[in-house]
Amino acid sequence: MTTPTRSRGAILAIATAGALLLTGCTAGDPAPSATPAMDLPFGPSTPAARGPVEQVTWMLPAEPATFDFDIDSGAAENTVFANVCERLMAVQPDLTTVPHLAESAEWVDATHVVFTIRDGVTFHDGSPMTAADVLWSMQRHAADGADESDEYANVVAMEQTGDREITVTMAQRDAIFIQAMAGNGGMVLNPRVVEAQGDAYGSPGTPDACSGPYTLGEWKPGTSLTIEKAEHYWDASREVLADEIVFRWADQSAVVNALTAGEADGSYLDSPASAIPLQSVDSVSLAQGPSTNAWVLLATERGPLADERIRQALSLALDRTGIATAAFGGLAQPWKTPIGSGAWGYEAEAFQAAYEELEGAPASPSADDLAAAKALIEEAGAPDEPIVVASDGGSVRNVVSNALVAAAQSIGLEAEIVTIPSAQYGDFYSDDAVRGQADLFSDEYYISKNDPVGFYKNGASTATVNFVGFSDPEYDALVKEAFAATDDAERADLAIELQRRWVEATPWIPVAQSPSTLALRSDLTGVPSSAAYLYYPWAADLGTAQG
Amino acid sequence: MLAALRRVAGMAVTLVVASFIIFAAMYAAPGDPVTFLIGNPENLTPERIAAVRAEYHLDQPLLVQYWLWLSGALGGDLGTSFQYHQPVADIMASRMPATLALVAYAAVLFTVVGIGLGVWAAVRRGRATDSAIVGATTLAASFPSFVVGILLVSFFSVQLGWFPVTGAGDGFLDGLHHLTLPAIALSVGALAIVSRVTRQSMVEQFDSEHVEAARSTGMGGAAVVVRHVLRNAWGPIVTMVALVIASLLAGTVVVESVFGISGIGSLLVDAINTHDFPVVQAVLLYMVVAYMIVTTVVDLLLPLLDPRIGNRVKTS
Repeated sequence: MTTPTRSRGAILAIATAGALLLTGCTAGDPAPSATPAMDLPFGPSTPAARGPVEQVTWMLPAEPATFDFDIDSGAAENTVFANVCERLMAVQPDLTTVPHLAESAEWVDATHVVFTIRDGVTFHDGSPMTAADVLWSMQRHAADGADESDEYANVVAMEQTGDREITVTMAQRDAIFIQAMAGNGGMVLNPRVVEAQGDAYGSPGTPDACSGPYTLGEWKPGTSLTIEKAEHYWDASREVLADEIVFRWADQSAVVNALTAGEADGSYLDSPASAIPLQSVDSVSLAQGPSTNAWVLLATERGPLADERIRQALSLALDRTGIATAAFGGLAQPWKTPIGSGAWGYEAEAFQAAYEELEGAPASPSADDLAAAKALIEEAGAPDEPIVVASDGGSVRNVVSNALVAAAQSIGLEAEIVTIPSAQYGDFYSDDAVRGQADLFSDEYYISKNDPVGFYKNGASTATVNFVGFSDPEYDALVKEAFAATDDAERADLAIELQRRWVEATPWIPVAQSPSTLALRSDLTGVPSSAAYLYYPWAADLGTAQG
Repeated sequence: MLAALRRVAGMAVTLVVASFIIFAAMYAAPGDPVTFLIGNPENLTPERIAAVRAEYHLDQPLLVQYWLWLSGALGGDLGTSFQYHQPVADIMASRMPATLALVAYAAVLFTVVGIGLGVWAAVRRGRATDSAIVGATTLAASFPSFVVGILLVSFFSVQLGWFPVTGAGDGFLDGLHHLTLPAIALSVGALAIVSRVTRQSMVEQFDSEHVEAARSTGMGGAAVVVRHVLRNAWGPIVTMVALVIASLLAGTVVVESVFGISGIGSLLVDAINTHDFPVVQAVLLYMVVAYMIVTTVVDLLLPLLDPRIGNRVKTS
């Protein structure tokens, strides 16, 4: 812990945090700011650490609810247990995937994947990890109703086919399956510990059942949760720098205060906007990195947006730069696709090049864009009823909705905002009566695997979130092909084609990508700044900047 | 004895009615817990929604759901949190100490300071001190507690570094250190109310005949204040203090979020936002119970402070 700072920045931080409460916003929706954005370092990781650190206090957006990931998991749980639990595959800070508890994972033919289990891995209780343990864990994740069971949707059978070998039989080729084994669906648990705890496993007071570089220490519900460096971590070659991490949790405004006052040493912030007041705090350094998160406007099945041309016109006229500045202080980027650059977990250069060529979703509409949009409206005919966009009164959604109304007006369309209670906003995905109230609703969307194919499947005519009824047989065929393409370069080509078709048809209007945002005490470094922290043991890399 | 029984029965009925109203209100509130229970929008298929509804009995009619809850609650089981997957009683138990400590600390502050200021103002009534106290407390009461909280955090924690920014602390001394600013923020509004009631109640006593009589016997100023004025003024003061405490037990939400304290208030807001029905139900009932306990304690305390009240009850 550092001594509390007394900088001018502190006042600014509080003023903004205060404004947050005064306007009645929820945490993570700080008030719009006119402060010009500082250029934050953007990349997969912060510079490597030079020396170890004893104890670090880390802020989470909420208290973890359970560490039984077959029940549920969210950002808070993942941030903590990425350090405690390990998976068959591992996500790296640059968001690529490498083998981990599995030495290798290979497609032996069109429907069989073989995982070779690493030798010499031990769980925290000292017992060795066997192939039977791996099989037991995978079956637990695949069980009906388990939170991760969707990762196993195409799995027909799982068998131990050798001392250190598991063979998974798939109904059809699923190129994303191996990647998914770097997520919570590939977590390997110690069956002896889980079974000894019974139903209590995962709640405060029970031990973890994992093999990672950290073990779960004391979890004081409502107060703090501690993880400690594992005493006999199986991978002696892996340097583990931080001895102990104490996690605490609070609303984003209190997280900002705790970081400003030096009471907390770091946090992966809930939203880039939370970093606005921290930009001027000397004792805190900020960094951003790729994530799959992006703000989008999802079209519903209601009304005039069924016509693709109206959606395209709105997309052409939307001022994304204005939104990024007003809602995120410039800490989010205008974005042309519905998924952040963190999805590019392979062939990143090809994806980057294809992204740059995309058209139809300008950062700020030019005169040509507006003319093209007006031409589209003329062709389609302006709808009789005004276009309705939903907001929940939160500051980001307010900015996005107002920008959409402005975009519509700039091309001669009428548009209005309907406000839905934030407690009900999530029902847009489940309740067609709620969707019946608006033509568009904004949301921050993300996927858990770093593969655009995992997102673009949402444009298939059968997808649950394809509300507007976008239907293109060629697109559907491409989705199938992409899922079957186990060769990265081939899959990237297919994903790029899906992306091009999606952006052209615009079932959702892309708005801005919200990068992963890290706030860290200035003399600490080493951790990833990308969204890898949700699955990668970031605490092991956390150390001092000076040796 | 009979009166006590009647009182307990009354409380039981109140609890059942309150629990039903809360339950029905949640049932009628917009928003569907299924969206949060499933989480990933891509998994929100009609089959999955139906399965989750059945699992949590959300497909049952209101009365059936209420009965399931009530029969569990009567057996001491308040249910399992949708969000935390832990027994609601365990979650409440882990959040309760922070909130109770915060309210207790605030109660000590506004009682001692509020009554002190009220007495001072009453003794000096009509003079500059009186006006200053009345003016200052009125001004203080007009600041919402979260504004006070933000000001306190920015100056005393972030700027000066005297107090911690977040959390409720560990153990007694650390707890005092952590809870001082939140308790001040929470007690500022209450302080004005208590000091005004104290002042008013005492002013009335000053003008009463028995005080005149005591003065005429040549009794000194301080003795009159303590033995006659304050003693007879206690009733309204204690009642007001109790009502304020009861309202604080349900009103720590905003201060808890400003100071990052995981208490009952922040738990309630979180539970409402995620449609965690069993937790919302339990927290709101806790508030009803807290209110009943505080008012009962006052009813029992008042006759002890002022024997005339007890006599009235007996003779009626």
